[in-house]
Amino acid sequence: MPAEPLPADQVTVPADPGPFGFVPSRTALLLIDMQRDFVEPGGFGESLGNDVSLLAAVIPPLRKVLAATRAAGMTVLHTREGHRGDLSDCPPAKLNRGTPTMRIGDLGPKGRILIRGEYGHDIVDELAPLPGEVVIDKPGKGAFYATDLQELLEIVGITSLIVTGVTTEVCVHTTVREANDRGYECLVLADCVGSYFPEFQQAGLAMIAAQGGIFGWVAPSVAYLDALSAVSPAAVGAATGPERS
Amino acid sequence: MDDLSEYGMTCTVNRLDPLRHPRLGPVAADPYPWPYDGTVAADQAALMCIDWQVDFCGPGGYVDRMGYDIGLTRAGLPAAARMLAHARAIGMLVIHTREGHCADLSDLPANKRWRSAQIGAEIGGPGPQGRILVRGEPGWEILPEVAPQPGEVLIDKPGKGAFYATQLDLVLRTKGITHLVLTGITTDVCVHTTMREANDRGYECLVLSDCTGATELGNHVAALRMVTMQGGVFGCVATSDAVLAATTTGDHHAG
Repeated sequence: MPAEPLPADQVTVPADPGPFGFVPSRTALLLIDMQRDFVEPGGFGESLGNDVSLLAAVIPPLRKVLAATRAAGMTVLHTREGHRGDLSDCPPAKLNRGTPTMRIGDLGPKGRILIRGEYGHDIVDELAPLPGEVVIDKPGKGAFYATDLQELLEIVGITSLIVTGVTTEVCVHTTVREANDRGYECLVLADCVGSYFPEFQQAGLAMIAAQGGIFGWVAPSVAYLDALSAVSPAAVGAATGPERS
Repeated sequence: MDDLSEYGMTCTVNRLDPLRHPRLGPVAADPYPWPYDGTVAADQAALMCIDWQVDFCGPGGYVDRMGYDIGLTRAGLPAAARMLAHARAIGMLVIHTREGHCADLSDLPANKRWRSAQIGAEIGGPGPQGRILVRGEPGWEILPEVAPQPGEVLIDKPGKGAFYATQLDLVLRTKGITHLVLTGITTDVCVHTTMREANDRGYECLVLSDCTGATELGNHVAALRMVTMQGGVFGCVATSDAVLAATTTGDHHAG
């Protein structure tokens, strides 16, 4: 339950390429694929040779954003990339592409890789969904394809998205592109999205704000927290208070 | 031809003869020889010609009005025209897309309109090439160098991605297409969005580096590199030369 009535006023966040305005009651926080296999040491992502610390760095600022957004009573949505155990929803082109050391469905360090219900497929403890928060299981990179995300947003009356998660140039970008074509306004929080590749982190964020904000807006999380705090006293305490684990 | 008389049937079945039916692959591509399944019959692959419109690469069009160098967006045009001729010759399905909106702008999201106005080129507003990004206007037309021929598929899309709010997926599945070769503009926006949508839908994608272009060279380069990471997260990148060299026809083995 919301801790207080949702602010009905527009909130304005200083952002690139210009101020991003949103109404909290019509805005959702989207946490994309903050799954153990992508983010934690010993998981699938690290087994492929990636430096997962670049993704784990997203967790502390994202915890503050999540806490403040919850305290303000806004909608929170989580996504997970993964497939059915029989791989019936995994296109052959995705399963068989290239010559990886491990494929989707193989047994990895945290269970079968990218399979729903496995330990590694689930969201990290620090950002675990609360009862009542929607979790979207998606078979692709984009959160709109072959999911009910759009229907959910329409039912709740969401028109704007605060976008966070991993990885910046793959699932975050694909989802922002889908959302943008559907008319949703997207603010990407630069320090709450992460990539295994620093050059793509930079290029991915630059592409969003290019050409007058062709896919949306980009801002640091502190700018979002400051703007939200201005209309929601509960968000102030949540964002600045001691971190709970 | 297989004789089915032993099954009590009198008809015969034509088997595809690889020497008479052109195939693509394996194409020398990054990060793996494309496609993942070795080769593909040319009539199961489509050439996507994305948004080769005056508004994106002609003088007085949308991109020109925003102040970008249309030399960059036109850079891939000669190679794309050659690839288009090749695709027609070997029997690939050819699909052209056009970004644009209805004259009453009823399919134009408010934020897209607002942003275009902020940068000085409001969609629907007047310009030297007619109303910007409005269907039927001169600026919305496809460049003559890569103009559609009768019978080729035209997809009019309101967004960056060619799958959203269009019949592209239905057309591809109806035609039995499983593999896509992408050309067009811009690399980081409409080509990339369409490639991501296609990849999630299970199409095996190849983007041609010399047949694309962007408003900024850095975005072009970064977008192509993004495709190749993680074992080809969205598919592969190759040149049109590599596709031509990897085309096997009934008459000869090119390259």
